[in-house]
Amino acid sequence: MTFDRTDLAVLLTRVATGDRAAFSALYRAAAPKLLGVILRILNRRDLAEEVLQEVFVRIWDRAGDFDAGAGAPLAWLSTIARNRALDSLRRRRETSIEDEPAAFEVPDAADDPAVQAERSADLKRLMGCLETLDEDKRRMVLLAYHQGLSRDELAARFNVPVGTVKTWLHRSLARLKECLGE
Amino acid sequence: MNELTPIEALAADYVLGQLDASERSAVAARLQREPALRAAVEAWERRLAPLNDLTVSVAPSTDLFAAIEARTSGSPPGTAADGNVVDLTRRLRRWRTATGLAGALAASLVIALAVREIDRPPATGNLVAVLQKDAASPAFVLTVDLSAKAFTVRSVAPERQADKSYELWLVSDKLPAPRSLGLVGQSEFDTRRALAGYDPAVIANATFAVSVEPKGGSPTGQPTGAVVYAGKLIQATP
Repeated sequence: MTFDRTDLAVLLTRVATGDRAAFSALYRAAAPKLLGVILRILNRRDLAEEVLQEVFVRIWDRAGDFDAGAGAPLAWLSTIARNRALDSLRRRRETSIEDEPAAFEVPDAADDPAVQAERSADLKRLMGCLETLDEDKRRMVLLAYHQGLSRDELAARFNVPVGTVKTWLHRSLARLKECLGE
Repeated sequence: MNELTPIEALAADYVLGQLDASERSAVAARLQREPALRAAVEAWERRLAPLNDLTVSVAPSTDLFAAIEARTSGSPPGTAADGNVVDLTRRLRRWRTATGLAGALAASLVIALAVREIDRPPATGNLVAVLQKDAASPAFVLTVDLSAKAFTVRSVAPERQADKSYELWLVSDKLPAPRSLGLVGQSEFDTRRALAGYDPAVIANATFAVSVEPKGGSPTGQPTGAVVYAGKLIQATP
């Protein structure tokens, strides 16, 4: 599915004025994408849908904060979704839910050729930079970003000390920043 | 290669989800008052945001938006204008056409109810709403007798919530905030005359929502937990 960023930006502006029809249209356009983002992190549909509710309540309250000049609307919405999903994941992690079954598997779009073909110019540039990293380091960044794996989980997954995870991630992000020309 | 500044490193840890719950909330609080940290977080978010293009979209459950509407109704910004809640009539039509209709009860309700178009529920008679998360899982059936201003909630199959209570809310764009109709789900049938103070048109057009609250009900008089089931009334008999 593709999104017209102008349309989403217009909808957000209207939502900020309390326009419920615009809120409904924004939900129809963006909710599936945001649920995908949340599900990758939480891996459970019931929890993910609760977070999606929170996300849209927040969008309703905060639509006025969206600055059309500062970035793409879908990125702004996805950031809210990721942050709420990570908050939920970390809160639950503290009371340990790790024994609960992952009831919902989300397919990895990176392997889907149709999705690859639709990659945006920004994504191509970012992927180009990610490819300059060693494979383990690239995968670590992607697992942290997409699935919200903690430092301990990454250490176990890559069989390296926790301190190394931190160092790798910081170095990888410094490299990305440099590669993206900032 | 340049090293990250301490601020950039903390921002990167926040954006990559490397902080635990207390560290996350500490950073979230600092973001409110430290423009430099906020700028660093926003910069990482912007650089990495294209990765979200790689995520596959997943359709939410049918009635999730009704629950969201229930939670945002009565709150700023603005006032509810045209109450764009997914109405049950349309939903029922979608069920009918959907393949692989799940749930015998849902199916029988569809047959019983989805027989005619309803523009505006009448101001008298019996109305019914299925409070549910999606078409496959009705949890409560709400029957309203408008002349007696009474309602009955039948508990069908709500998920069990230990140490929690289900609370029923009436949500209307004619009211500034959701109104509690009391706790539900403790027995199979709950009948109450709790609608006496409401205009029939408000009742007929309201969204009914069930939220998960601390045992004994919401401490604030407003929904404090997630809205897990919601629906609107339609006419029960011709």
